[in-house]
Amino acid sequence: MDFDRELVVRAKTGDRSACETIVEQFSPMVFRLISRFFRTREDVEDLAQDVFLKVFARIDQVRPDENFPGWLARVTVNTCYDELRKTRRRKVALETYGPEMAGQLSVAPQEPDSLGKARLAVQQLDPKLRIPLLLKEVEEMSVEEIARMMGLTQTNVKVRLFRARKKLASMLGDAEEHRK
Amino acid sequence: MNQLRDFFEAEKKRIVAPGPFFTARVMARLKQQAAENGIWDMMPRSMRPVLAVALALILCFVAFEFFIPQLPQRGVVESFLESEESPTESFLYNDTDVPARQVVLQQLIAPEDQP
Repeated sequence: MDFDRELVVRAKTGDRSACETIVEQFSPMVFRLISRFFRTREDVEDLAQDVFLKVFARIDQVRPDENFPGWLARVTVNTCYDELRKTRRRKVALETYGPEMAGQLSVAPQEPDSLGKARLAVQQLDPKLRIPLLLKEVEEMSVEEIARMMGLTQTNVKVRLFRARKKLASMLGDAEEHRK
Repeated sequence: MNQLRDFFEAEKKRIVAPGPFFTARVMARLKQQAAENGIWDMMPRSMRPVLAVALALILCFVAFEFFIPQLPQRGVVESFLESEESPTESFLYNDTDVPARQVVLQQLIAPEDQP
């Protein structure tokens, strides 16, 4: 992606027009990444706003030679990870204290059955397995890119991908057996 | 595993694009945040530890000055009698290096001149 480094320098000094240009230029990328982990438009937009606020709060940490789009993608993925963990904690609390609410499924009614099951299985994965899996399979990133983005080693990413696929296979396999 | 492959393909096609007012909303929140934040958030992060140390030192100095009283230059009795001292007495009793004024010197010399 073509990027004017001068924009970051100007944004560091508090130039509002530079900040505006950064938001306009990078919001499609941020939206695309967030929408891999969150489904509703409201969630995606709220998180995208949080990402840009974080970015401008920490923009003085960007080194002049740093790859800004890469840094922004890392902030986005980390924000999604934090939010997914919070959501998961809330879900566990609901399962403990309010089983009738936790039982509500988040599959759109118009979705084909098989897609819905796959989506549910992916949603049930731990965020630390789910994020690398979706980045690999949907965003088509390489293991090296995922490792850089999540601050992990390549081996660690490979292990997480392996575990995610194994868990999905077992979940979907169980579902198949239940249907039979 | 076909259902997973279909799911990933469907996900690739799903696009959520930012709305027309997204940038305006972010800028409004940024402005609101800047108004809410104090001077602490306006400065770069790297400056904060330096400023924190400087503030701590200033506070320590002020506290030291405030809580630890200075030793009085003279005792209670001297302070009480000070108003009754004439300049001559003051010159005689206080061990001062300040040269006496001409009047004081004259008063001291005068008794010796008298027969």
